[in-house]
Amino acid sequence: MFTEFDIPISERIQKLKAKRERINKDMRLNFERNRIITDYYRNHENEYPVLKRAGFLYEWCATRKINIDDDDIFLGDGGPQCRTVHFDIEQTSQSWIRGCFGDTDERFRAAWQVPGSVWVDDEDREWILEAADYWKDKDIAATARGLFPPEFFENAGPFLEHLAGSYPGHFNPNYERAGTVGFGAVRRTAMEKLEEIRKHTTADNVRSELFYRAIIKVCDGMILMSKRYAEACRKKAETAPTPERRAELLKMADSCDWIIENPARNLWEGLQTILFYQYLLIADGTHWADSPGLIDSFLGPLLEKDLETGVLSHEQAQELFDAFLLQIGNQIIMFPKPTNDQLIEAHQNGKTFFDLQGGAQNIAAGSLITIGGLKEDGTGDYNLATEMILLSYYRLRVAEPSLALRINKHTPDRIWDLGIACSIRSGGMPQFNNDDVIIQTMLDKGVPLEDARRYAIFGCVEPAISGKEWSMAANCGGFGGGASLIDILQYVIYGNVNPMTGAEGMLPCKKLYEYESFEELQAEFERQIKHYIDYQARLYHFAALVFNHEWPCLSASVMTEGCLESGKDVTWGGAKYNGMGSMFSAVGTVADSLMTIKKLCFDDKTVSTKELYDALRANWEGYEMLRQRILNEVPFYGNDHEEPDSLMQWFTNFYADHYNSRPGVNNGTNNCGALDLYWVAAGKRTWATPDGRKAGDPLSHSSDPRQDAVKNGPLAYVKSVAKLPWDKMRCGGAINLRLDANSVRSEDARSKIRKLIKSYFEMGGIQFHFTVADTEVLRAAQKNPQDYQDLIVRIAGFSAYFTHLPFDVQENYITRYEIGL
Amino acid sequence: MVYKNVKGRIFDIQGYAVHDGPGIRTTVFTKGCPLRCLWCHSPESQHREFELGYLPVKCIGADVCQNACLDACPEGAVARDEPVEALDKSGLIQKAKIDREKCTNCLQCTEVCITKALYASGWDTTVDEVYERLLKDRGFFKDGGGVTISGGEPMAQFDFTCNLAKRLKDSGIHICLDTTGFAATELFAKILPYIDLFLYDIKHMDTKMHKKITGVGNEQILKNARFLAEHGAALQIRVPVIPKLTDKRANLRQTAEFCASLGDAVKLVQLLPYHKTGRMKYERLGWRYKLTNVEPPADEFMNNILAMFQSFGLNCQLH
Ligand code: SF4
Ligand code: SF4
Repeated sequence: MFTEFDIPISERIQKLKAKRERINKDMRLNFERNRIITDYYRNHENEYPVLKRAGFLYEWCATRKINIDDDDIFLGDGGPQCRTVHFDIEQTSQSWIRGCFGDTDERFRAAWQVPGSVWVDDEDREWILEAADYWKDKDIAATARGLFPPEFFENAGPFLEHLAGSYPGHFNPNYERAGTVGFGAVRRTAMEKLEEIRKHTTADNVRSELFYRAIIKVCDGMILMSKRYAEACRKKAETAPTPERRAELLKMADSCDWIIENPARNLWEGLQTILFYQYLLIADGTHWADSPGLIDSFLGPLLEKDLETGVLSHEQAQELFDAFLLQIGNQIIMFPKPTNDQLIEAHQNGKTFFDLQGGAQNIAAGSLITIGGLKEDGTGDYNLATEMILLSYYRLRVAEPSLALRINKHTPDRIWDLGIACSIRSGGMPQFNNDDVIIQTMLDKGVPLEDARRYAIFGCVEPAISGKEWSMAANCGGFGGGASLIDILQYVIYGNVNPMTGAEGMLPCKKLYEYESFEELQAEFERQIKHYIDYQARLYHFAALVFNHEWPCLSASVMTEGCLESGKDVTWGGAKYNGMGSMFSAVGTVADSLMTIKKLCFDDKTVSTKELYDALRANWEGYEMLRQRILNEVPFYGNDHEEPDSLMQWFTNFYADHYNSRPGVNNGTNNCGALDLYWVAAGKRTWATPDGRKAGDPLSHSSDPRQDAVKNGPLAYVKSVAKLPWDKMRCGGAINLRLDANSVRSEDARSKIRKLIKSYFEMGGIQFHFTVADTEVLRAAQKNPQDYQDLIVRIAGFSAYFTHLPFDVQENYITRYEIGL
Repeated sequence: MVYKNVKGRIFDIQGYAVHDGPGIRTTVFTKGCPLRCLWCHSPESQHREFELGYLPVKCIGADVCQNACLDACPEGAVARDEPVEALDKSGLIQKAKIDREKCTNCLQCTEVCITKALYASGWDTTVDEVYERLLKDRGFFKDGGGVTISGGEPMAQFDFTCNLAKRLKDSGIHICLDTTGFAATELFAKILPYIDLFLYDIKHMDTKMHKKITGVGNEQILKNARFLAEHGAALQIRVPVIPKLTDKRANLRQTAEFCASLGDAVKLVQLLPYHKTGRMKYERLGWRYKLTNVEPPADEFMNNILAMFQSFGLNCQLH
């Protein structure tokens, strides 16, 4: 099937892919960046934060190791290991570092120096322990401790951990400006601005003077780095194995002398500029989800010029996109989470670092490329680059970065076709985005139409104005001290306590059997949602202050629209738009639980609230018949039933309305969405729920119905999910549909899937993900993972290699609703 | 209008039925069929009477249910099976075991089975009820999609099928009728105005062979096909390619000739290679699957047949 896109990849790309796969199995923690920042901060303790950051970035540009391998088409890999794995020391929990590396020698080795681990050398270990000592009262968590109001310390334990583990780099950097304007021009503007304000220093602009100096320093660093690569290419050319490679390296050298300072002149230069800028962003610690938005838009004209002038053939151009995709996916970080206990246990069971809970979430770039869409004037923005990027995904089957395709009435048939074929083949990439509704949500935030048309997706599903919006990391499913619907449900049932963990909530309330009516319970649910959202919104303001105070993000500010103009870093509110996301999740579990209570206890009155409460407390033990009745007789969300669907609409609307109306950080907007990366883990800390779920079992995923509750087939499923208030979901949210392999076998399968997506969009849905997988194939992959290394599935907002997922996530995926025939 | 209350017996309604005609469709499956094709992949569609269906994987064990199904059965046809591990690995359970020799399909056990592991293979309904249900999927029917009435043989419940088709037609919904063609010609004449596309099976050109593999001869079927073609119907012909039964080249060639002779009425010919997915359904009903040693035809063979059909100028595809 779909043979028209099966054009073989070149030998050189095969080599690069093999190299990547090889190094995937042999990852090392790379401490270069951490050493540079630690040395710089140590020697410049009194420098103002924005200057200190600029100084470090310059130092990084000037001294980072340069590595060029024989087959490399693009430059900048962290070498000698091409996959740069690191964590950012100033953002990492120092107690985690001590726990892992300060452990006994034997345990340290068992965790970090065996096959399947992310390797850490003895020498690096010593260094990191010593460095951790330096950072313990100077890192981001320390800043937070110094300014958070006391009540946050009682309740915000998880949030502090979260804050300490991830910088707010969840956004769409302005790669277009880097490629079409260049750092040289930005530097000139910063100089002019500096001259100007020096003449009239005021209380308002005094900090801007420091900001412009910092920007100039960063530009100098970037221009220097590019020239260092030019130098390295020339050197490498001297020993090149063939005359062709020699010529190629010399050409790369010429380009590196030109780009970064100046706008890219051809496709290679455009792609290389994106990569160089990406490396800067990562070094600056914004690694989580730097997402290249709408890059096809500025690469298209460069590509077409190259093809016209004969600089590139069609095949050569495709090879460049292939190589680019392989390379950008190399930039990954490690999420500092697993403990030595977990690692040792995993290794003893023959598992790798990847197999730990979180799987893909332990090591990831979280990056996402958005293509297609609309130009500012409202015409379609699709070109040959859009097509070639899709084709590269189709050919290479890589899990990272993710891919988002924007859909509107201008989307060409070929892009539709290729997008669907690609999604079938590569496990859910691209995801499809509905321009009509998403643009409307941007307008609702107050963004003018021309800018709204230029949104892109970052992270997993979150839309923002590409290159112009600074968006702090969204909290997912209440992770990080936010408002979690499933926690609130537990409080409302069990009287302000989570029976699984014993943790108490903030608002004392009744127990299930004490409510007089369902309306009373609903009112309590609303009161709790409101409380936790207010709490969360307040927390975010202080989190923003942490960054504003001491942790600027110059790599973002140097290109993000608004910063240069206003003289403010993104963390000071300099970006043209600012947003802060909050995601709710477990929608199915919550809706079905409420429906069960309503129907059995209050409408039909066949079960008393006390009996249901007792059954829940007992985790259904001795109540199996009641549980079975619930599972089989209560109408659940996901089947196009009026009642459960309208309950779902009630609480999702309430959440969205309340969160969206709170004043956002940096005077931006609050943006509600629906997403969850932790539904299996969160299930483990959730006691039995009224929908028949047992304690510890996975929750329903994001806004999707509970996997086993779907009984009326795919159309009812799609219709139910379309009933969410998507027009208020400014932070995104997708339907995740798994199609049976049999259903894509028919001749016109692509056109049917296209119609399904279009129908969902017309009903108001905003994002559509689908994966095609055979249960048989997935089972086989569990048995013989080595034979299914490139089997990709879409599991949350991202795609992942199936065999890298932890076993319980795999099981949950397999049993999730499947469209059979 | 009285037709709303016309009764019908169906065994399923399925959304996103991708193999039942153009676009996104929801298919209604009527129960009962005059044919008995050996390869039938929906055995529950054959009999007009309800049968007892049993899905052991859903059964939670007679201990939990306190023998509900055992006690309900007047024939003593339900017993406890050998103990097996429960799905959630919580211990051993004894599921229900049906003695099909004793079972009279009275369905009393299905009424007490909380998990619906025991279920009736179908239900009685009305035109109105089905119509309301189908209307819910209307948002998907744009761009050429709609409703397919399939079976069993929908023409065997003519009043129901025809009134449902009328009702849908009145609402502007595109309708396919998936039929074996085995019904009186005047009934086809009556339903013709309401059907946008007939999905029409031609199973074998030789009537003796046809009788052997489906239980009936093909004269009526071929006659109706010609009648429909001559009276303005649009036909999508479906040709099952079943190894050893229908896959002789001579037969397939004659089928192609016949399709070609129907002229413009034939919009598409679909070749349906045999597949095994229906097999599990036989187990659920406790029936024997008759085609145990038949394997799906090879791709190469199917491509050859495809080329042969196309050589007659037919718009033909593999399905
Ligand atoms: S259908 Fe009737 S006879 Fe058959 S097992 Fe059930 S109760 Fe017994
Ligand atoms: S068949 Fe139904 S009633 Fe009988 S034991 Fe199993 S689940 Fe219970």
